[in-house]
Formats: sequence, C-alpha cells, structure tokens
Amino acid sequence: MKSAEGKRKELIIDVRHINKIFPGPIPALVDFSARVDRGEVLVVIGPSGSGKSTFLRCLNGLEEIDSGTIIVDSIPLDDDEKHRLEIRREVGMVFQSFNLFPHMNVADNIGLAQRLVRKKNRKDALVTTMDLLHKVGMAEKANAYPAELSGGQQQRVAIARALAMNPRVMLFDEATSALDPEMIGEVLEVMMNLAREGMTMVVVTHEMGFAREVSDRIIFMEHGRIIEQGETENFFLAPEQERTRRFLDQIL
Amino acid sequence: MIRTRRSSVQLDAALLTLLFGAIGFIGYRVTVGLHYNWNWAVIPQYIFRYDEESGRWVANYLLQGLLTTIRLSLWSGMLALLFGLFMALARTGRSLFWRMVSRSYVELMRNLPPLVLIFIFYFFLADQLALLLGIDDLVRNSGERLQSVIGLLFCKPEQLSAFLAAVVTLAVFEGAYITEIIRAGIQGVERQQWEASHALGLTRLHALRYIILPQAMRQVLPPLAGQFISLIKDSAIVSIISIQELSYQGTQLMASTYLTIEVWVTIALMYLLLTFPASMGVGWLEKKFARGRA
Ligand SMILES: Nc1ncnc2c1ncn2[C@@H]1O[C@H](COP(=O)(O)OP(=O)(O)OP(=O)(O)O)[C@@H](O)[C@H]1O
Ligand SMILES: [Mg+2]
Repeated sequence: MKSAEGKRKELIIDVRHINKIFPGPIPALVDFSARVDRGEVLVVIGPSGSGKSTFLRCLNGLEEIDSGTIIVDSIPLDDDEKHRLEIRREVGMVFQSFNLFPHMNVADNIGLAQRLVRKKNRKDALVTTMDLLHKVGMAEKANAYPAELSGGQQQRVAIARALAMNPRVMLFDEATSALDPEMIGEVLEVMMNLAREGMTMVVVTHEMGFAREVSDRIIFMEHGRIIEQGETENFFLAPEQERTRRFLDQIL
Repeated sequence: MIRTRRSSVQLDAALLTLLFGAIGFIGYRVTVGLHYNWNWAVIPQYIFRYDEESGRWVANYLLQGLLTTIRLSLWSGMLALLFGLFMALARTGRSLFWRMVSRSYVELMRNLPPLVLIFIFYFFLADQLALLLGIDDLVRNSGERLQSVIGLLFCKPEQLSAFLAAVVTLAVFEGAYITEIIRAGIQGVERQQWEASHALGLTRLHALRYIILPQAMRQVLPPLAGQFISLIKDSAIVSIISIQELSYQGTQLMASTYLTIEVWVTIALMYLLLTFPASMGVGWLEKKFARGRA
C-alpha cells in the first residue's frame, strides 16, 4: 500500500536474472529480475501464458528455476531443503482454485499448519484461527466443510489459512479469476484490507481497477520478460511502451 | 415406473424358477446317473461335535477350518495392508532406488503363480527362518497360558511356523495388489493439494500424513475391501502346505467320508458366509462415498 515516504526501505524479495524454461516453444521466464520492499504491494499483469504464475511459484519454490538467484527475507532459495521450508513458512500463497483441504472443516484447514509447522498447541491455534475467520468474515462457518461453501467464501478461508502462518509476504495468483462476478468484491475487499495493514504483497490479477488502487508498483510482462514496470500512477497514466498501451487498451 | 417394476419382479421370478429347476435337475441327474447316495444328515456333526469329557459342544473339522480361514485372512490382510502402504509410498516417493524396489516387487508378484510362491516361501520361511528364529522351540517351551493364547489368535501351537509362513506368503502376494490400489489412490489426489501443503511449509511427510493419504484412503476403501474378499478366497491355496483351513479340511473330510458333494456344498456356503457380507459392505461403502463426492 502506498507507504509513507522517508521510512527506511527493507528489501524482502530479491530476484535476480532468473530463467525458467518448460518443454515447449516459449520460455516461461527470461532473465527476470524484481525487488519488493517491506510493506510494498507489487502487481504483475500480462497476457495469458506470459509467465506470471511461474514467477509467483518460483518465489516459494513450487517451481525450480534453471538459473539466477532468489532471496526472500535474507534466506537464499537454493538446493538446501531447509531454506526452501523456511521460505515457505514466511511466504503465504493464495491460488486461483482455492485448494482448500476437502476432508477437513474450515477451522482445521486453518489450524493444521499452525500446529504442525508453528508447533502451536490446539488451543492457541484455535484462537488465531477464530481471529482470522472474523477478519475475513467467515467466523460462523468454522465448522463447515469446503464443499459447503461458495467460491468467494472458500477463497476467503484460503486467505485466512495462508495468514495463519503469520507470513511476511503474501502471494496472490489470480485469486478472483475463478469466482462468479458477485463474489469478486468480497475477496478483493479482504485483500485491500491486508494491504492497508501494511502486508507485503505480490499480486497477479486481471482486475485493473483493483490493481490501480492497491498497488505501489506494476510489472507488465510478456513471453517471460518484463516489458515495462513503474510506479502505479505513472504506469497507468503514461505507459512508455507501445505494447503496454495496446494491452491496457484491450483490458480496460 | 410401476410397470418396469412389476415386469422386473416377473423376470426375477422366472429366473429363480429356472435356477431352482436347474439345481433340481442336476441333483436328480447326480442321484440317478451317478447312483449317488445323498447323506446330508452326517454333515452337522462335522461342524459341531459333542465333547463327552467336558460335556460341551465344540467346533469340529469344518468349523475349525472356517475359524482358521478367518484368522489367516485377518492376519494376512493386516500384514498385506502394511506391505501395500509401504510399497505404495516407496513407489510414489522421491528415491529412485525405492521406486524400483517397489515396482520390481509388484511385477514379480503379479507374474508368478501364487502356488510357486507358496512353496518357495514355505520351505524358506517355515524351515529355515523359523529354525533360525527358534520359533518352534520357543513355542514348545512356553507355558500353558501362552500356548492357549497362540491357539486362540493363530493356530495349534505345533503348526505355528507353517501358519506364519502361510500368513506371510498371502500377505506378500496380496500386498502387491494393494500396493497398486493405494498407489492409484495417492496419485489420484490432485496435484494442487500437494502444492497447497508445500506453500504452507508442510514437510513432505506431513503433507502425506495429513493431506494426501486421508484423501487417497477414502477413494481406495471400496477396492481395498474388494481385495480383502479376494484374499479370503485366495487363502484356500495354502491348503497345499497343510494349513488346516477350510479347503484343507474339505479335502480331508472328503477322503474319509466320500461325501464329495455334501462336503463341498457346505464349504461353499461357509465361504459365502464370509465373503457375502463383505461384498455387501463394499457395495455400501461405494454408495456412501459416491454420495459424499457428489
Ligand atoms: N507445468 C508446466 N509444464 C509445461 N509448461 C508450463 C507449465 N507451467 C507453465 N507452463 C508454460 O509456461 C508459460 C508461462 O505459464 P504461466 O502459467 O506462468 O503463465 P500465466 O502468465 O500465469 O498465464 P495465465 O494468465 O493464463 O495464468 C506458458 O507458456 C505455459 O504454457
Ligand atoms: Mg497463471
């Protein structure tokens, strides 16, 4: 969220010259570099297949990079399995398809990792769980199973589940793309509140109004490369690249 | 709706009539054609027998055989589940070595006649391994209490090593099929469930234990139960190494009474007594989970 100037910047995500190629004609990421400071909200936009998801998934090691370096919260993401786990504990992720655990109720979905990873006891975990459920407006559904919830409700639970790890960064991969239009608002609102509270976020979205409102910086990418990036206001008011203008015209 | 119902009842009735007609005809042909002397009356005494000494009814050959079959099936079923789970985890794991071990195991078991396996295992396990472990001595020297516990849980103490060999053989054999069932279950869980677990910082083991396996096991419960029914039927094969289970008792009884048909029909009914409720249970499970998913 637009931060007060003058505060000292602290680098949380430092990505340098990463490359990622899947079998296929188009490389997913090419010499890709990006930095995110604490409290900053970075929005990544681009056409389908441009590598946005791949970028997010590299950040928490769901996808392995071919070359380059990724440092998250001073921890290098390398071959060391311990580093990978540490980073994943500091980075929350929200998926387009929610991916709740279908065999557990809402409270257990949110409580499980607190107990297994953060080693909290059942009672402490439940306190955190209920706090978070209140925060995303789902407290009365603590005992429901995912299949009994609407898409918007499931996504809000998924956000609460990621927040339960008390992460320093949140990644959102098209969190509202699978939702019916009438449910998009409730999820965006939760994300908006998070940004206001100062959460560091990297957001992939097609909701340009939301992007403009929530972000400090925008990256526009295509074919795995950054075409243009800049502070949000400048980016939307005066895009420099012809390709960016065409994309914005198309989508706005 | 009502029409189809009525006509299906009529069809059932016709089929049943036909069935009983056929049975009656076969019975008649056996009697007349083979000059077979039916003697059903002696069968019950091979199920229960009156023990003069204690003045109580006790299990005789056939019932003893049934009980042995049940014990055999339960023990080897549990062991097979353990093998299967372990090998399925090995098969879906990250280590190439263990994946190959698991794969070889499954292929080997599926491509050998169980009879051959039984002989190999029997002579190796019962003779060599039991000797090495000193099972027989251990049992022989154990107290009365322990011997009766062994009798209750497994079989006659003096046959323990053969019984254990049979349990292990059946478990290893069925375990290969269970491996395939559980492997399919694990691989049937959406990839995104792994990703969601990893994104939360769960270790691979935690993800398996709390997220993947519970979902996989739900899916495979019906085929697992089906495999257990197969195991009950397949257990007849260990009669070849003189385990006194139902089929073995049948051959013995047939040799001493010549009541071939009565004995085997009775034995067939006893197997059905075990497998039929299990089948019904499977059907019930399948329906239950089909509804849960919808
Ligand atoms: N697991 C995979 N195997 C093979 N190719 C992949 C895989 N994941 C992504 N790709 C390819 O990598 C490229 C980038 O994909 P990515 O999913 O990152 O794009 P995206 O910008 O998120 O697109 P969308 O807006 O459709 O979600 C695409 O060409 C895609 O086909
Ligand atoms: Mg994507």
